[in-house]
Order: sequence, then C-alpha cells, then structure tokens
Amino acid sequence: MKKVVLRGNRDGKRIPSRIFEEEIQEAVRQGARELHIIADGQHGIGGRIWPRDEKVRIVVEGPVGQRLGSMGMFGTEIIVKGSASDDVGWLNCGAKITVLGDVTNGAHNAAAQGILYVQGSGGARCDTMTKHNPKFDPPQSWYFRDVGDTFAEFKAGGVAVVCGVNPRNPKNILGYRPCVGMVGGVIYFRGEIEGYSETDVKLLDLTDQDWQWLTENMKPYLEAIERTEYYDELTSDRKAWRKLIPYTAQERAQRRPFKMSIQDFRAKIWETGVGEGGIFAEYITHPRTILPYVTTGQDRRFRPVWNNYKYSPPCEYACPTGIPTYRRTQLIRAGKLHEAIELVLQYSPLPATVCGEICPNLCMEACTRGQIDEPVNIKALGKAALEVKAPEIKEKTGKTVAVIGGGPAGLSVAWQLALKGHTVDLYEAENRLGGKLEFCIPRERLPQEVLKREIARFEEIGVKIHLGKRIDKDSFQEIYESHDIVVVACGAQRPRRLNVPGAEDMVTAYDFLKGINLGQSPDLKDKKVVIIGAGNVGMDVAAQAYHCGAKEVVAVDIQKPAAFGKELEIAQSLGTKVMWPKFTERYSKEERRIYFTDGSSLEADLVVVAIGDMPMTEFLPASVHTDKNGWIEADEVGHTSDPKVYAIGDATRLGLVTHAIGHGRKAAEAIHALLTGRSYYRPQPKPMVPYEKIKTAYYDVCRDKAFKPEKEANRCMSCGVCRDCHMCEMTCYYGAISRTEYEDGSYVYEVDDSLCIGCGFCAGVCPCGVWEMEENK
Amino acid sequence: MEPAARLDHNHQLTIKDFPYIIKWRDDRCKRCGRCTAVCPMFSIEPSVVVQRTVVSEGPTPEPRTIRRIVTVIKQSTDINRYCTGCGTCTLVCPNDAIEPQYNPQHKFLFHKNRGGHPYRRGGRRNDPTPSTLDRLKFTRISMLTDPALDAGRHEFRIRTYLGRILPAEELPIKVVDGRVEVDTSTGKFIPPVREIYPVMIGSMSIGALSPNMWEGLAMGITYLNEVEGMPVVMCSGEGGMPPRLLKSRFIKYFILQIASGYFGWDEIVRAIPHMVEDPCAIEIKYGQGAKPGDGGLLMAHKVLKLIAEIRGVPMGVDLPSPPTHQTKYSIEESVAKMIQSMSMAWGFRVPVYPKISGTRTARAVLNNLVRNPYAAALSIDGEDGGTGAAYNVSMDKMGHPIASNIRECYLDLVKQGRQNEIPLIAAGGVGKTGNLAANAAALFMLGASAVSIGKYIMQAAAGCFGDEYNRCNVCNLGRCPRGITTQDPRLYRRLDPDKVAERVVEVFKSIDVELRKIFAPMGRSTELPIGMSDGLSADDPAVAERLQISYAC
Repeated sequence: MKKVVLRGNRDGKRIPSRIFEEEIQEAVRQGARELHIIADGQHGIGGRIWPRDEKVRIVVEGPVGQRLGSMGMFGTEIIVKGSASDDVGWLNCGAKITVLGDVTNGAHNAAAQGILYVQGSGGARCDTMTKHNPKFDPPQSWYFRDVGDTFAEFKAGGVAVVCGVNPRNPKNILGYRPCVGMVGGVIYFRGEIEGYSETDVKLLDLTDQDWQWLTENMKPYLEAIERTEYYDELTSDRKAWRKLIPYTAQERAQRRPFKMSIQDFRAKIWETGVGEGGIFAEYITHPRTILPYVTTGQDRRFRPVWNNYKYSPPCEYACPTGIPTYRRTQLIRAGKLHEAIELVLQYSPLPATVCGEICPNLCMEACTRGQIDEPVNIKALGKAALEVKAPEIKEKTGKTVAVIGGGPAGLSVAWQLALKGHTVDLYEAENRLGGKLEFCIPRERLPQEVLKREIARFEEIGVKIHLGKRIDKDSFQEIYESHDIVVVACGAQRPRRLNVPGAEDMVTAYDFLKGINLGQSPDLKDKKVVIIGAGNVGMDVAAQAYHCGAKEVVAVDIQKPAAFGKELEIAQSLGTKVMWPKFTERYSKEERRIYFTDGSSLEADLVVVAIGDMPMTEFLPASVHTDKNGWIEADEVGHTSDPKVYAIGDATRLGLVTHAIGHGRKAAEAIHALLTGRSYYRPQPKPMVPYEKIKTAYYDVCRDKAFKPEKEANRCMSCGVCRDCHMCEMTCYYGAISRTEYEDGSYVYEVDDSLCIGCGFCAGVCPCGVWEMEENK
Repeated sequence: MEPAARLDHNHQLTIKDFPYIIKWRDDRCKRCGRCTAVCPMFSIEPSVVVQRTVVSEGPTPEPRTIRRIVTVIKQSTDINRYCTGCGTCTLVCPNDAIEPQYNPQHKFLFHKNRGGHPYRRGGRRNDPTPSTLDRLKFTRISMLTDPALDAGRHEFRIRTYLGRILPAEELPIKVVDGRVEVDTSTGKFIPPVREIYPVMIGSMSIGALSPNMWEGLAMGITYLNEVEGMPVVMCSGEGGMPPRLLKSRFIKYFILQIASGYFGWDEIVRAIPHMVEDPCAIEIKYGQGAKPGDGGLLMAHKVLKLIAEIRGVPMGVDLPSPPTHQTKYSIEESVAKMIQSMSMAWGFRVPVYPKISGTRTARAVLNNLVRNPYAAALSIDGEDGGTGAAYNVSMDKMGHPIASNIRECYLDLVKQGRQNEIPLIAAGGVGKTGNLAANAAALFMLGASAVSIGKYIMQAAAGCFGDEYNRCNVCNLGRCPRGITTQDPRLYRRLDPDKVAERVVEVFKSIDVELRKIFAPMGRSTELPIGMSDGLSADDPAVAERLQISYAC
C-alpha cells in the first residue's frame, strides 16, 4: 500500500491541471494506492483512475477545483477535507466521493454509478441528468443539509437523499422547481419544500422497502461524513421523510394534457359564468346533442318524395290538345288495349284525322324515347282510334249551348259538351262539317275517307247539326237568346290580301284549296305558279298546284319561311322552290310576271296569296270585343268580353288543327263548370318533366320498326309517371321504401323516415323521374 | 331549332373543366348512399348507366347481347353544383370508394359567373405558394453567446401589451415616501393597457360562424385564461355578442368589434350598465385583409332567430356591412371620432384600436394614430386573411402581404422613437401552411406586438376543409360540411363545441411550446422579441432587402 503526497502548488507555483493530472496518473501507475493531495484548484482531481480491481484512496485538501472525481471509477475513493467546487463527481462511473463540507453547483451531474456523500449542502442544479445503467447499481447522492435550485433536472436514474438538517432555507430544502424533466430514480428528502415539477414527478410517502434501504444506507453515510450522532434523529420518524419519483412512461402516456376536462370546465366554470346551456341557450330550440354526418328523420337535409303525376310527360305537355298518351301506354301495359285506344276520344273527336294524319305530332317531337331510337308512334295510336265507337253520353243536363262553326274547334267543343250531357246546336255555314279539314287540307294529306268516318262518329252523339246556316247579326241574337252559352268557332275564312297593284288578279289560298277539295281543280298544265307566303298553307297550295299540272311553283316570303313538317316535305319533294326575303311590288297579269321591291321578278301565270286568313266577325254583337286586327279577344279557355259568349280556334288566333281542338276542349271544361254551377279554377298547367330526370339507360334501342300497340307501350318510358317497377324499393340500401296497394288497385310508394338517410338513390335510379329530393324543412 | 329531345351535350361543361374530379371506385362501392347524402353541393348524385356487351361463346359466331343496368355515383357538370373537393364523401364512405381529386387544368373561373354574377365564395386567397412569412427563418442561434435557454426547462414569459404605453418621462408619477405613486393632480390621461397572450383569435362574427363554433372558441379561450393562466383573447367580429357573455365576468377575455354595419351594438350598449367586467378591448373594423373594398352580407336566409336577436334585427332580412363607414369622410376624422366614441362608452377604461386591411397607405394611418392619445394599437390584416364571403376578385387580387406592411410600419415607429408605445397587431395568413408559431415569431421580430389568427384556428380546432386550392371555400353558402360557417342546425350540430374548445386549448398550449423552442435558442425568455430583426433571415435577397433583414442561403 504505497502512500504518496502530491502538492498542487510547489514553491509558490501552481501546477497546471494538465501536469497535475499526469502526476496523479503516474503515481497510481507506479503503484500508489493512497494519495494525499494538497490541491490548488486543479480540475478533475481523482477522476479517470483505473485501479484494476484494487482500491485507490485519495484524500484531498486545499482549494479543490471543478469536477473533482469526474469520470471516477469503481475502486476510487475520494475524501475531500472541506468544501468542493462545481460539478463534483461529474459523469461518475463508480467512484465513492465524500465531501466534508458543501458542494457548489452541479454536483453529481450526469453521474452514472458511484456514491457522493456531502456533509453540507448542495448548490444549484445538483443531481441533474444522473442515470442508472442496469449493469451496475444506481448512483447515490447524499446531502446532509439541503440543495439549491433546479435540483435533479432530467434525472434519469439514481438515488438522491436530502436529509434536511439545519437547512439554509428551512421552508424549501429542495430549492426552486426541482425535478423538471426527471424520468428516473428517486429523491428521498426530509423537510419542507415549495413545489416541484408536478408534470414530471409525484410526491409520495416512503414504503417499507424505501425505509429499509434508507435506514440501512444512512449508517455508512453518517459514518463517512462524521455525523453518526444524527442517526437516531434521522431514522426515528419515517413520516418526516417523503420521496419524489417520476411518473412512469406509461403513466405519462396515459395522462391527459388537460388540467381539467372540458366537460368539467363547461359545468363548473363556463356555465356557472354564462348560465346553463351556454351563451346561446336562450335562442336555441333544438337539442344540444351532436348529430352524425349521416342522419335520418327530421335531421336529414333532404327527403325523397314520390311525386307521381307531379309533372306532365313531354307527350302530354307538347300536345296542344293535351292528349295524355302516357295513359294510353299505361293501359296497354296493363292489358287494357281497347280502353287505351278509346281513351283519346275523351280528348278529341278526330284522333285518326288529326293525330293520325295531318298533325305535325308535336307530342312525338317531344317524346323522350326519341333520344334512344324513335319516338313512341303516337300517330299510329291515333290512326288506330278510327274504328272506335263514340263514347257513352252523360245524363242530359238540360243546358243548351250553341256552337257557331263546324270546323275542328267547333267540333271539339260540341263533342265535349255533348258528351257531358249538354244539348248542343252546331251551326255550319257550308253544307258539310269539317271546316278547313274538309275544305283546305289537300286530300293527299288527309284521306277523305278518314275524315268522313270521324265526322260520322261525331254525328252519333246527338249534336243538333244545322248545315248551310250562315249566321248574321239577327240570327246570332236569336241564338244568343235561346241558348245558355254561345261558342264562336267560326274560323278564319277571310283571306288577307296584299295592297299592291295587281292584287285583284291574285287568288287566295283559301279559295284555291277549297275549290280543289270541292272538285273544282284549275288546270295549271305547264303553268308557272308563284305563292306569296311560304307557310304551311303555302306549301299545301304548292303541292296542289303541282297536282293540277303546274310546271314550276315558287313560294316567296318576306322572312324566313315558317313552313315545317310534312307540308314542307311534300311541297319540296314535288319541286317547290322557296325564296326569301321577297317583298312584292306589283303583279302584272298581262306580263305574267310578278315584281319584287329588290328589282327582281318572276314569271307567274298564277299568283296565290297565302299570307293568312282573318275571321269574319260582322255577325257578333258589340259586347264581344275584337282586337284591332279583327281577331276575337279570348283567353286560353275561350272567355270573351261577353260572359255568355266563348270564342275558340282560328277565330281568336291562327294555329294548328290540334290547337283548335285543344282550345275547344278547354273551353268545354270552362263552360261545363259554368253550366253545372261550379266555379272554374283555371288549372295551373303542370310543368313538363325535365328530360334529365328520365333514365334512358334502362331502355335498349328497338330494332323492330313495325307498329304494335303493345310494343309501343313498352317503348314508352312513362315520363313522370310511376311504372311500378320496384327499382326504388330494391335499390334502397336501408329498406326505407315500401309499396302499399289499395283495394281499388291503386298504389303508393312510401318512405320510412326513420330509416331513410336522404341519399337520393331512389331519385337517382327511378326510370320515370317520379322520386324527387326535397328540402327537409 | 332542334327538338329538345334530340339535343345531347350542347353547351354542357365537361368534368375536365371542373376543379375537382370525383374518383369513384365501382368495385369498392356498396351503394349505401352516405356520400350523396352528405355532399354539400349536390355535386354527386346516384344515377344509372347501362353496360352493354355482345358475347359469343360457341365455336362459331353466335352473338348474344348482355345488358346490365348498374347504379353509379355520377358527378354533376352543372357549374352551380361543382365539386368543391371538400371530401365529405370520402369522410363518410365506409369503403374508401370515393375521393375528389384536384384537377390543375380546370377552367372553373371561365364559367363560374352564370347569370352575370361574378364568382363569390368564402375562404382565402387561392395561392398555395409559400408566403413571405414561410420564407423567413430564425438564424441567430445564441446557444453559447447568450445565456443558454432551454425551452423545456426554463420559464418563459410570453406576453404582450395591448394599449398605449406612455414613455417613462410622460408618466404622471411621483415618489411618496420612497414609493412610486400615480400623480393624479396632473389630470393626465393614463391609457388602459392589457397584458395578453401575443397570439389572439381574430374577428369572426356570430353569424359568420355557427353558434357551436363560436361558443367552442369562446370556451376554449376562457379555459386558457381560467384554467391554464394563459391570457388568450378573442375578437367578437361584427355581429353582436350574446347578452349572457356580455354580462359574465368572462367578457374581459373578449375584444368587441364594431364595423360598418354596427350590428348588435344597440344590444351591447344597453348591456353596458349590467356588465361586471370591461371587455379586453374594442376593435374598430375599417377593412379586412382578405377582401379590401368588399363589404359583408349576411344573407337573409341565415338570419334566423339566434342571429336576429343577437344582432338586434328582424329575422329573414339581408344584413349588409358596407365596405366603408357611412359617416366617415377621411381616415383622420373617422379614427378620431370612432376611437373617442368607443373609448367613451366604457369611460376610457378600455383600449380602442382600429383594424385596417394591409395597404401601402398603412403608414399614413399609423402616423395619424401615433398622434392620437386614445389610439391603443393598430391592427393590420394582410391579404392572406380569411373571410366568410367575398368576391373572388377581391379575395385573390386585392390586398397587401402582411410581412413588409408590418415591417415598414414598425420601422416608421422606430424612426419616431415610438416603437414601444403603440402596438402593431399583424394578421392575415399567420400559420397559412400550419407554421403558426414560426409565422407569429417572425412577425414579432419584424415588429408586431401580437398576431391574430382565424383560418388557422378553424382548421386546427374544427377541421375546416378549406385550402388554397379552393378546396371547399363555400363558407358563404351556409352549407359548411363541418358545421363551422352555417346557421343550419343540421350542419352545425355536427360540430361539438366542447371538442372545439379542447382543440383551442391544445393549439395554444402547443404553440406556446413552439414559441419557446424559437425564443430559447435565440436567448429570449422574458420579453417578446418585438423588432428583433437580427434574428431573422430570408431565403431571398429581395425579400431580405425589403424587410431590412439578413439574407441566408
């Protein structure tokens, strides 16, 4: 056991730390195992000694420098006779260090093993960053009095004991904010403290094991610091001791970051301050519960509605007569073919004539089916009605109606009113019924046989027909007085004429066409014909002119010609030329030439004026107003300024035959309401079902062109009208849609609001556009 | 004209024209309808398509047609039902079968003006490029040159002052028996000053926000004050305050805003005698950074009972807040009389300050305020701020970035030696890309005493879907899928105010940590580093030069 004495100051000259350290290392290498060091502030004394399983005891006197015993090893024992400077035992790796005095800041910082015994107190930041390597015992730090601020920061292991004997600050022996960031180890202390890092550590009483460890290890400590007389005082009262241990990683992970839960805050602070239910409670009527994103019942944003018949299908909407073709196809699909064909007679007395022959079939133009292949063949359905018998007549009402004019409008209103049981007198100036159908429409477009048979059917329903009865003021007065209602359907037979030189040599379209239909065809062989006015009447004239042998027919117009449809097709196929804009200047019969204002001229053996017709209304009393152009003023149901007089058809404005029939039908509704004592509420026209609501995807292109009613019925897409296909019911993921059938065979699809989330799938898949999503108010 | 039945795609837009395209996966979809039930814009709808195949299975051609009608989720090409990309469909889909995808080639702005109405929306400036604030970094790391600070270990005092600070020599104080006392004999006005957290929640009105959102924010900041001891304040926005809050002691955490519509102010004035605490401050709104020159309009359909009562108006009327105050003719006059009136309302005990939109003329306003003893601060709202409703053109093209605006104002104060006297509040895009603490700290170092946040807190606390790619941004329509900006209970009841409050607390606690993480290495812990511009660098020399900070690359 070689003893050496080393002096840090020789001959009044301080040995630098680097040299002194080499001297200590060399002494140990030379076998010194007891070193007495009289230091002079040298750094790191006693550290870095590798005694190789032997013991090296170092006693230090004099002013001790920083980091005494730093990186000290097992086997090294250091005793400081007095106080030590900063960072005693820094990164201690096993040395036992006893300081018989105070330690200043940072004692045992980063210690991993070994023991620090302090006889006095510790400075700031003692025991910080200590750790425990599981291969060795944890480091121990013992302080007899107290420690300074920020003790044990980031302590990750090891035991610290603060005995609290005669502390500098009896109120707080652990200093300001100890244990910040502490994650391991334990601090046993005796005495009062003023707080610690509550987020990191918890304050607990000592367990039996703690107490046993403390009392067992207290003895060697007190012996080392020469304070054995305190043993009893320090171990007599277990209650005087407490410990700080860190929360475990698991405890920290489980800890809520909130000092107080928001729910508690709401109840105890917020609503105590602003009132129960929060700041808006007095204005809110709904429950305060939170709603999911996907909701049912009242909480849905939208709800599905089965809007059967809410919209008018395009066929019905586009038909001026208002024939509901969708009902016919519905009946056919239900196996009621005959009822379906018959149904049209409720709407028109002339379905084969009009729908089947001369009508441009606006219904078919509008038909949604046309988007896939061809429109439903409504024309053929009309034709099919030719053979159908007249419907049953309702019980007689005893009310009388006079209808003036046996054209389409007059026939329509008379038909409707007679079917409803009213007594109808029909006055026709000519000797045949049919008006323009009979007199003006070329036979080629309308086989006379068809019209004849439909007129014959008309005659079956008991309308009193007065042919050859031209009405004048007197006879009108008579009729007016003898009937409950007078309907003026006199048409427009007075052709409009041009006010240009030579006008008197022109022929009117009305006279021209009527003459032909009455069998008085002019001979136009090799003649050149000019038609002024290139509307559909002009086209009919052109076609007839060719049939009468004309060599060349030119139709002129002052604007883009209005002709369309079959009339135009026929005329053009025969060679009719259309020229516009052409304003007629004069016609010279002698020169056989018509001159236009643009300086041009055309050869013309015959000039036909087809610029429209005006009604002849001289027979009307003053109570029935006409406008400045001569048309009878009437609304869409025929009301005129005289409550007893209705006016319909071409007498009120020019239109298609189907317009005239529709006008007659609507007037009949109004008149019927009046005659039966009901007030007439003009029905709001239903909007047409938007095309995009009809799901065309369901329907395949049909390659079979032949007409069969059953096939047409299946081609019909039932726009806006439920076809009872159950798609909605099947598609609904939540089973919210069900179908209920009533005794009369009618049915509804219904929604269970408690199941429906308002997703719109029913509306999205409905082939007919019946389901719609509405805001859920 | 062709019959309607024969038209097909005439004048229709293609999906490619739309900013978001719905990616729907047939193979994953179970057709439960949750997506279509929640789509705020009705952009997606169920529909049917036909799949037609011709097969031939035999050894010779024996064609057979197979038609299958399948239900699909279809995206609308109606411009009024455009997909906003909000992703609520994705949120509710149980099968991950649907998702909107951004379409950078969209032609949205070419078409979104139907009926001659320019595109209006809510949200923000649709510019996803990094803002100036995001190009600044903290380069002065003082770990060893200044006392080493540890954000986790050391205590920080992150506070600021809202109110006019008198310079020491102007303070009416005297020393009596060795103690400093206020010298009341001078009659000198001592301006009210509040010590607050330097990040505040900016003005979002009751009406712009749903009741659940507003109350959630209010609860959150009250929690921070009452439980956490963080004096975070929040501005009411224009649209009144519920009397229950006005009369509660919590009103001291709220800044009341008065704007050009003066909505709800008769109710507030009537409540003054019943108030147990003064509000934190009064903000006079002159402009909004997101939409300078554009006013506000709360649509009649949003003015339900709650809004009507709080704003003191009948239900179901349009509530316009014009872009200008109607009786103000110059900024000098306006500022003088508004600040006087509002100070007077609370007996000169409450700081009153104006808020303007970022502008090249901000310094003129500031210089005016410097000379007004009652002006408590100036809030400048930059172009990246948010709004509930504005014209797209106002949002995208009007305004001034906050960074250089706040900088030049601060440097102006420095020139006059008044930089510690009148605080500047910066707003507009603070935390635009999520870097709230960094943006706030950068603004402090450029010269702001405090920052206001709006969109950030909506995104962080309530999961607002909006972004700079025009995602969602339909705050103006009352259809907010999150329940933040709607008055429809069916929508706002999706939002739990308690959860909002909880998130507000989390956000502020975490930015508090982040601010320390910035301040600690820079050696600041006790006072906010206002104007500490030597701590900042920009990654662009031009930005650095304009802001008078260093350039680092």
